[in-house]
Amino acid sequence: MVRKRKSVRFAQGEAEDELQGGVGHPTAGSHDQAMECLTRDPSKLSQPIRHLQDKYELLPAFLRVRGLVRQHIDSFNYFIQHEIRKIVKAKANVKVTCDSDPNFYLKYLNIYVGDPVVEEDYVATDITPHQCRLRDMTYAAPISVDIEYTRGEETVVKRAAESIGGNEPDENMLNSGDRGVERKERTKGAISIGRLPLMLGCCRCILQDKTEEELSELQECPLDPGGYFVVKGVEKVILIQEQLSKNRVIIDLDSHGLPCASVASATHERKSKTHLIVKSDGRILLKHNTFAEDVPICIIFKAMGIESEQEMLQLICTSKEHMNLMVPSIRECMEVGIHVQKQALEYCASKFKSSRHTYTYSKGNAGRKKKKGNEKARNNGDANGSVGQDAGEDRYKHPFTLRTKVDEARDVLAGVILSHVPAPGYNFREKAFYLSTMTRRLLEALIDPEKVDDKDYYGNKRLELAGQLLALLFEDLFKRLNSDLKRQADAVLSKANRATQFDIAKCFRPDTITNGLEHAIASGNWTVKRFRMERKGVTQVLSRLSYVATLGMMTRITSQFEKTRKISGPRALQPSQWGMLCPCDTPEGESCGLVKNLAIMTHVTTDDEDPGSLKQLIYSLGCESIHLVTNSTQHEGQKRSLVYLNGSILGVHRKPEMLATTLRQLRRKGMGVGIYVSVQCDDSAVNIASDGGRVCRPLIICDRGAARVTKEHTEMLKRNELNFDDLLTMGLVEYLDVNEENDCLIALREGDLDEETTHLEIEPFTILGVCAGLIPYPHHNQSPRNTYQCAMGKQAMGSMAYNQHKRMDTLLYLLVYPQKPLVKTKILDLINFDQLGAGQNATVAVMSYSGYDIEDAIVMNKASLDRGFGRCVVLRKYGTTIKKYTNRTSDRIVPVHRPMDPSDDPKFVKLKKNLMRSHKLLDDDGIAAPGSKITDGDMYINKQTPTQIRDPVAESIQRQNSFYKPTPQYYKGPRGETGVVDKVLLTSNEENHFLVKALIRHTRRPEVGDKFSSRHGQKGVIGAIVPQEDMPFSDMGICPDLVMNPHGFPSRMTVGKMIELLGGKAAVFDGKLKDGTCFAGDSVEGLCKILTEHGFSYSGKDYLTCGQSGEPLQAYIFMGPVYYQKLKHMVMDKMHARARGPRVVLTRQPTEGRSRDGGLRLGEMERDCLVAHGASRLILERLMYSSDQFTVHVCSKCGLLGYYDHREERGMCSKCGKSEQVKPVKIPYACKLLFQELQSMNIVPRLELS
Amino acid sequence: MNGPGTATNQVTAPGEGVFYVCGECGWENKIKPGDTIQCRECGYRILYKKRTRRVVQYEAR
Repeated sequence: MVRKRKSVRFAQGEAEDELQGGVGHPTAGSHDQAMECLTRDPSKLSQPIRHLQDKYELLPAFLRVRGLVRQHIDSFNYFIQHEIRKIVKAKANVKVTCDSDPNFYLKYLNIYVGDPVVEEDYVATDITPHQCRLRDMTYAAPISVDIEYTRGEETVVKRAAESIGGNEPDENMLNSGDRGVERKERTKGAISIGRLPLMLGCCRCILQDKTEEELSELQECPLDPGGYFVVKGVEKVILIQEQLSKNRVIIDLDSHGLPCASVASATHERKSKTHLIVKSDGRILLKHNTFAEDVPICIIFKAMGIESEQEMLQLICTSKEHMNLMVPSIRECMEVGIHVQKQALEYCASKFKSSRHTYTYSKGNAGRKKKKGNEKARNNGDANGSVGQDAGEDRYKHPFTLRTKVDEARDVLAGVILSHVPAPGYNFREKAFYLSTMTRRLLEALIDPEKVDDKDYYGNKRLELAGQLLALLFEDLFKRLNSDLKRQADAVLSKANRATQFDIAKCFRPDTITNGLEHAIASGNWTVKRFRMERKGVTQVLSRLSYVATLGMMTRITSQFEKTRKISGPRALQPSQWGMLCPCDTPEGESCGLVKNLAIMTHVTTDDEDPGSLKQLIYSLGCESIHLVTNSTQHEGQKRSLVYLNGSILGVHRKPEMLATTLRQLRRKGMGVGIYVSVQCDDSAVNIASDGGRVCRPLIICDRGAARVTKEHTEMLKRNELNFDDLLTMGLVEYLDVNEENDCLIALREGDLDEETTHLEIEPFTILGVCAGLIPYPHHNQSPRNTYQCAMGKQAMGSMAYNQHKRMDTLLYLLVYPQKPLVKTKILDLINFDQLGAGQNATVAVMSYSGYDIEDAIVMNKASLDRGFGRCVVLRKYGTTIKKYTNRTSDRIVPVHRPMDPSDDPKFVKLKKNLMRSHKLLDDDGIAAPGSKITDGDMYINKQTPTQIRDPVAESIQRQNSFYKPTPQYYKGPRGETGVVDKVLLTSNEENHFLVKALIRHTRRPEVGDKFSSRHGQKGVIGAIVPQEDMPFSDMGICPDLVMNPHGFPSRMTVGKMIELLGGKAAVFDGKLKDGTCFAGDSVEGLCKILTEHGFSYSGKDYLTCGQSGEPLQAYIFMGPVYYQKLKHMVMDKMHARARGPRVVLTRQPTEGRSRDGGLRLGEMERDCLVAHGASRLILERLMYSSDQFTVHVCSKCGLLGYYDHREERGMCSKCGKSEQVKPVKIPYACKLLFQELQSMNIVPRLELS
Repeated sequence: MNGPGTATNQVTAPGEGVFYVCGECGWENKIKPGDTIQCRECGYRILYKKRTRRVVQYEAR
């Protein structure tokens, strides 16, 4: 450990040398190098040694430090370490007061997220994620608070015991990390307010920083990425959500094709959207939800205190053109006759939506005001801004008791419009400045349509991760908890005499938060009323089909766009996504391009922990506050740039480039500027961003045409003496976000470096994501093929995790003999695919054989199947809970009553035999025994349910057998297959309900119709299984495992597959795995050379003998190993046919769907075929005789349906009351139903008989 | 065909309870209906049923 530190420090010193003294110096490591430097061409002396070997080593180093799902875990950690505290300490939340007692208050001192525990029988026990999965529990930790409140006359402070008693050493021990952010967070407060589901691998999770051994002790897979939640035993992922960035001005085209500027302001208090629109006559108006009508921009400026038009124009305009464009707006303002601020405010007030007026006038005593706030919240469901809690309003509270309309308008301007720009003490300076830049950008877009922003540009996007989403939800629930407390305090304190003193600490109900969070994650419905947010499908069940599917899910990004829109803009691959998002991995179909995946090196930033210090730093670097500069000078004379921090204006700077470089240098040195802070400089502004949700990726810094990372560094990385974070602190590598990438010149390869280059890519293949990274030679494939493979890789069977046999998933597909591919890729190694493979290396002969291989079908070798190729295990969970009912009864599992001596009655014996058959699996406890064979219709749990579950039942009755009705669990499975009861688990969940879970296992060998695919989007089903004798064989006696039709190649253009075949063949013969990494990998020439060295044709073709005739085949056959995946779609799960079967009760037509043993539909198009063919009798047969034929009795006189009188044995018409003209007619039952339904609606369908 | 039937009768002698193996320590617990599901030794709440002692013939394909 110490040695490692030393080496790091040495390296750091080196880097600093490099930074300070002449950036281009070679890092002097040894004397030889120094000599080499001297002997070289003197003009190139200052140039460092080129050629950086193994810069690829940075990638594994990066992943070692970061893991594959760091973005999720970082986001969640930020939430539980900082954000949650910010929420509780926020002005609106920190204090609970009460209307009836002005002295009463409850103040939150601190909040803590504890370690994962569960309380059972009043004992808190530690829980592990795996335990939660098995027991259907939630992996959650208690949230607790320290509070200060009044109890009667006294003030009580409640803190956790540890802080008062000296548990200091314990704390210090916990505080081994040397981060100077905070001393140590304790994990427990005085009062528990709920439980927070924990993300696996987060800083409170017990899996954090565990070794492989410790993890396996916990029955956890060491390769499991974490980053998901376990809620009620189900693994749930909060998908990454993509949004347009908040608090930034975006110039867009409106429906009339005119530019408009819009800002979505988002603060903790409220969210609102402000637009600046241009009318066709050139007027500029401000559009906001609080205004019933758009307000002219000039009036807004006047309301903000910019009364003179000159000042206004100086603020907005930089050229004459701008001024001309402002003329209509100014003229309009004149025409309305508004000149001073008061008039403007009155004008604004008159434009408010009517609902605002309801609370405008009221006296300002404390209690009333609170009520007013609530009323406001209720009334104003529509008005965007005012939905927020009262605190936001309070900040801008007018000191006088009587509030006029003008005050109201001023409040709205200060707090609601552009709410992210503060207006402290009604100082509108900042806001007016912001509005003026907005207007200017709008004017520029009017002049030059090129200036309209690209909404799809990825720098304008923010990704919302688990932490942010949970923070939103938590704040809402916390507010609800507070209002509950307030209500209780109100109710109790308003009474004159109370029996006991009111103690609010006893009123905390943890259910609000616990259930709220749990329910949201379990259902995926995110509802935050405050922001009128209602999102569905935010979470998804983690797909555990294969390891790749799991990883692929963790990097998935969904966007908020509706899927129905046919526009291609948001779906298209954007150049700015380079390196951030995988260009291949997207689903096909309706969500194509809307669902994306992160590239392997992408990181998503979290919010800045301390934005204040960055602000201070920028000011001390020469930024002049906008409160200090005049309006006019900013565009005249010398160049001044605006400085933005997270979308809000900080001030102006005279030397923007210098500011940018200084900030970057400080960032590289790790001094005051966080590593994820981005600095971007354009002609008029310096954009500094430290907000969360930006995508960024690491790049090697270059100066004067040389990369800062050198051979020494990569070697140290290789020896594990250095890690990726060290490179960051040494300033050799830095994170760039999409915006800053625009300021950089990034070389793809080392050879491309020149004087101007600022950065070097770590490896070109890092643009790919996890799924696309598995494809060998993807750069030789047609692009859609790679996309197909990305989708199919997630369906491939293989090993899922190391703990796969310990788990009880609903459905699990496992390959019996998974292999690692012969042709690997670098990404494949990095994600440990070689340890959890999902496929087998099959020897493929590309030839036509037997005719059963057309249309992508493949012919399999029977002997290979016998030896275990493609054999898989299907594990399915069945189970039940033993419920407890409110009347204190409960379900029970009872042993089957087996009569010991069979009765002689033959009828009874047969019955018993049947009974025995379905019960034969059960043990003495009424549950199937593990290891026994199970077939369709077998009972595996003999459960009984009480007949009375509501009303109280005497205990004596409860003991009777007749009190229970049998509700046994029968196994339903494919008829032909017998499964084995693999495991039976008994446990109890959090509510103390018993759970019984049975895992049933099938082993399947491939059969005709099972789906296989290579790694190049070439899927196919088995067309025939041929005995090995009949397969062709080579002169070495090699016989293919499968035969693929060569017609699969020309139209698909999957050259990568051919190279993989060559590579596989070469790998087999020289015994070394081959590398097929994208943009790199072993060359075809190299592979061919290996083949020829081993006596094969360079082309990969072999001489084959026909297995059937024994004659040589007419052509040489391209044969070799290719990695094949078995996909989850198997015939056994799909095969379905029926002759007779169940019918739907309502229509008497056959049921629908395989699971209900339904019929096969003869649909509209099939019917059309039969009509066209003239086979009308066939239609009649299919649609009536074989479906829902019914005989009705129709009265030919009145045409209505009658009935059949069975006593009289004749049809009767109930309308005519006669039976003479009633005739039996065969019609479909659905038709009869239609007639009757029409009759019920007062429509008379009459049948005319002929 | 009557093989499994007769075997059942032999194995399940009356009065003999069913044993469950603790998922943590491996202790064999005997649990009656109505008991809490918890290992007597270590308090772990996940128990597994023991494999059947009946003779089972599997088909290997």
